[in-house]
Amino acid sequence: MTRRVFALGTGRLAVGILVFIGLLAVLGPYLAPHDPLASSTTTLAGSSWKHWLGTDYLGRDVSSRLLAGSRTSVLGSVEVALVALVVGVVPGLLSVYLGRVFEWTSLRLADTLIALPFLVFAVAVTALLGNGITQAMLVVGVLVSPLFFRVSRAATLAVARSQYVEAALISGASIGWVVRRHVWVKVLPAIAVALAQTIGVGFIVVSSLSFLGIGVQPPAPTWGGLLASDLNYLHFQPYAPIAPAALIMATVWGCNLLADAIRDVSGENGRALVNTRKARANGARLLPVESRTG
Amino acid sequence: MSTDNPVLTVTDLEVHYGARRRRRQALNGVSLEVGRGEVVGLIGETGSGKSTFARAVLGLVPFSRGQVLIDGEDVTGHSQRKWRELRRRGVIQYVFQDPLRSLDPDATIEDSLVEPLLIRGDSRADAVARIRPLLSRVHLDDELLPRLPGELSGGQRQRVAVARALVTEPALIILDEPVSALDSANRVGVLEILKELRSAEVSLVFISHDLGSVAGVADRIAVMYQGQLVENGPARDVITAPQHVYTRLLIGSAPTLRSAAANRSERAALRALLHA
Repeated sequence: MTRRVFALGTGRLAVGILVFIGLLAVLGPYLAPHDPLASSTTTLAGSSWKHWLGTDYLGRDVSSRLLAGSRTSVLGSVEVALVALVVGVVPGLLSVYLGRVFEWTSLRLADTLIALPFLVFAVAVTALLGNGITQAMLVVGVLVSPLFFRVSRAATLAVARSQYVEAALISGASIGWVVRRHVWVKVLPAIAVALAQTIGVGFIVVSSLSFLGIGVQPPAPTWGGLLASDLNYLHFQPYAPIAPAALIMATVWGCNLLADAIRDVSGENGRALVNTRKARANGARLLPVESRTG
Repeated sequence: MSTDNPVLTVTDLEVHYGARRRRRQALNGVSLEVGRGEVVGLIGETGSGKSTFARAVLGLVPFSRGQVLIDGEDVTGHSQRKWRELRRRGVIQYVFQDPLRSLDPDATIEDSLVEPLLIRGDSRADAVARIRPLLSRVHLDDELLPRLPGELSGGQRQRVAVARALVTEPALIILDEPVSALDSANRVGVLEILKELRSAEVSLVFISHDLGSVAGVADRIAVMYQGQLVENGPARDVITAPQHVYTRLLIGSAPTLRSAAANRSERAALRALLHA
């Protein structure tokens, strides 16, 4: 799978972008040239040698704030995605196999999560577990998990009734075997797409929650928070939102590209695609692959 | 081809589908014995209960009455776990009608072929070594191993399915309409392979709605009609001297190169007799 993703140009680009963002998250806080929280009298300055991206309304160095905020932003959205993945996918797969009681319970639970008012739930949980980015993202992750539950359940259902699964069962396969060998490959592309989407949503949520004082506390920088405060001073610095927006966009785009690449290379069509490209690169004359219904 | 140590003994099998008012009988007191190395053709029209019979024998459909012995083991009332143990030994295998749907489209031919062996607990290396000699038995090339089912022709796919059924060296293979989805050239190819298997130790139950494809392969032919076994005897006898009206109709309906229209009135008479 990994090799096939790298065989695609878009796959390499996606991994490149995500590695860059990952490096920013790890090294960003150390690379910041100034203290991201130190204010000065030079407010809303343009770009200069001292302040590459200028200063904000309190005179804080924007480039430092971007770099320092990268870790919180990336970790926050990754946490959302991972929590949603674990809380959603595992019951999604199991709901098909563990019998009617589990199926009914998990379905109703997913419905309940969808119906829960997001803010009330977030406030309640932070009141219970304490206010912090981890708790806030846990809440968001749990609330997004029905998406993963539904996606993985639908993909599993389609495979579970297939003849090749029945053939494996006739050979004495266990449910675990069927999931590992047959179901997982079919579910993965759908989950990858949902994961990429969730990471994008995570960025927006990290910043919108800090607005309400949940999660990241205001002086601490995040990409989403920078974008939000920049928007208030648009008439002084019309270019200011570009830098944080570009970083958010690059991350979401990288995730989406990767998800697309995974979807493209998984399954029969994906293999044919990669093989065709390889063959073309070798100068082969292509014969049409026999159609699946043939 | 002795029947004193049968591979499969089915006695008085009854299967019902549905519950309460929608309950209807799919199999009605079917008894059949398959000897070691014997090829039994099971013939009948759509809905006659052929596939239900196969699924009941494989433990995929519960039966309400009767007894099933597989290789001497009484599987009547087996739990899921006991069934899994029995299946893992690979004593009984099954070939589906449509190989495109019974082979995982994302798994290579090699993956599909070694799967029953891996489930049994063999190592990958052992399993791969075991499937190689099988390929020549079903007239397939080594080259196909890294391919996906979608990259093979229909005939090649069905031969892969037959090879997959053979990997565990089963005592019995049930083939459910194995050639019905194939064109005539591929059909002949697969039938040739089944004929060659007769010399091996394996018994076959060959399910088909088409008497023609079974006639050349089977030692014995059993005919099903409306959930009942109406005829069961040596292949030659069943074809040359059919006892039951339905069998006579079936033989009369088999298309020949000469126009089948000649005996249309005879078939009409038989049909009237059958429904009477």
